[in-house]
Formats: sequence, C-alpha cells, structure tokens
Amino acid sequence: MQAQQVKISPVLLLKAYGAIKSNWMSVRKKFPIRLAAGLLLAILIDTALQLVWKSAVLSLPDDGSAWLNVQAVLHDPLFVCVIFLMACQFFNWLMILRDADLSYAQPVTSLSYISVFCLSVLYLKEAVDLIQIAGIIIVLAGVWFISQTDHVTQSKEHEA
Amino acid sequence: MGQTAIGVFLVVICTLLEGVGQVFLKKSVLGAVRWYLWISFGVVILLLETVIYSHALRFLDVGAAYAISSLNLISVTFMSRCLLREKVTRTRWIGVCLIFIGVGLVVARA
Repeated sequence: MQAQQVKISPVLLLKAYGAIKSNWMSVRKKFPIRLAAGLLLAILIDTALQLVWKSAVLSLPDDGSAWLNVQAVLHDPLFVCVIFLMACQFFNWLMILRDADLSYAQPVTSLSYISVFCLSVLYLKEAVDLIQIAGIIIVLAGVWFISQTDHVTQSKEHEA
Repeated sequence: MGQTAIGVFLVVICTLLEGVGQVFLKKSVLGAVRWYLWISFGVVILLLETVIYSHALRFLDVGAAYAISSLNLISVTFMSRCLLREKVTRTRWIGVCLIFIGVGLVVARA
C-alpha cells in the first residue's frame, strides 16, 4: 500500500488559518464569550437560589405572623445566603442586559428550570416520568430557536 | 378552593410585576439619562414581587406556583416588544412558546 503524499504548502496553511479565524470571529460576533459566560453564571446562580430559597421558605415558622417571619429571616443563615446570591444575580443580570435583548436573555436563563429539576432528581430522588423528559427536550428546542435569533436589536441610537 | 384562587391571583400579579421590573432594569442600561431612577424603581418592583411570591407559596404548592410563574416568559417577551421596541422575530416567539410549554410540562408535576 502506497502512502499518500499530502503537500502542505504555506499558502494553503495561511488560507486555512484565515478561514478558521474569520469563521471564529463570526461566531464570536453572533454569540460573544462575555454574554455566554454571563448567561451560564446566571443559570448557575439561579439554580442555587431556587434550591436555597425553597429550603429557606420551608424552614419558616408556620404561624404566619409577619413579625416572627422578619425575626426568623434575620437569624436564618439560609436567608443571608439567599440575599447574597440575589445580589450576585442582580449585578450579573445587569451585565447581561448590557450585551443582549431582554427578550433574548430571559428565555435562555429558563434553562435553570432544567438544572433545578435534574438536581432534585439526583439528590432528592424525585421520580421522573416521560412527560417531564419531553418537557426538557421541548425547552432545549426552544432555547435553540432563541439562539438562532440576533442577541441584540440593532437600532441607530444604540449603535451610536 | 378560595385559598388556591388567592394563590393563583398573587402569582399572576407577580408575573406582571416581573415584566415591568425587568423592562425598568433594561431601560437603566440602555443609556437613559436618569438611569439610577430606572434601576431603583426596577429593584423596588422586583422586591415587591419577591414578597408577594413568598406569600403566595403559603396558598399554593411550590410546583403549581412554578408552573404559573413560567408565564413570566410570555409577560417579559411581550413587554420588551411593546415597551422596549425589541425585535421579537417569529423564530424568537417560537422559542419562547416552546420553552413555556416545556417548563410547564417539567414543573407541573413537581
């Protein structure tokens, strides 16, 4: 069997490099890394927040008196944790909104519903049924559709 | 039964507040002159929403409350189209509706 000789000319390499670079730049332009990182962080914080929030609300005294609730909130480390996470979420969210449309960022962050669901299944051993799996697939499809749209509305005053 | 109705009502109010609050936050980063006013009102509205929501959890299951609050998606998309004049294409609406349906299916049984 004869080994095939592949000629690699510098020109070809340069062209390939150019093609990869321009392709990468167009991907970057369509979906900037800062926005991607922000959205990912938002989903992570939101997941943590929902899980902590859930356990914090469940730990409140059940008599419903507002003053007792305020006292409980001030003494409960879970609520301090909630407030800290909310502050992080808030500043991260403002950074995202600088880069993207509200109607783009908001639906993408609903991926946190899926992560919360997966964590509850993994750690709380909640039962899974086919309808929920179908739901997850539909959400993923929806996020794919959103990702196909421009992440920011082009307008003259915004460009300037 | 009355309790459930109150809970649903409160959560629906929360979705409307979420839409308005998010629009205010977005306004603040769009280079508005009084951005600090937009951001403060946005925060106040979202805090109010949190208070109402945690109150609503006393009347409703967490699962039901989650399912109804996935209406947030529709509310926010609609308001960013009308109030912020964002370009919500048909593809984006399809995505939003799919996510809405999907989230409903995932959390309805929680």
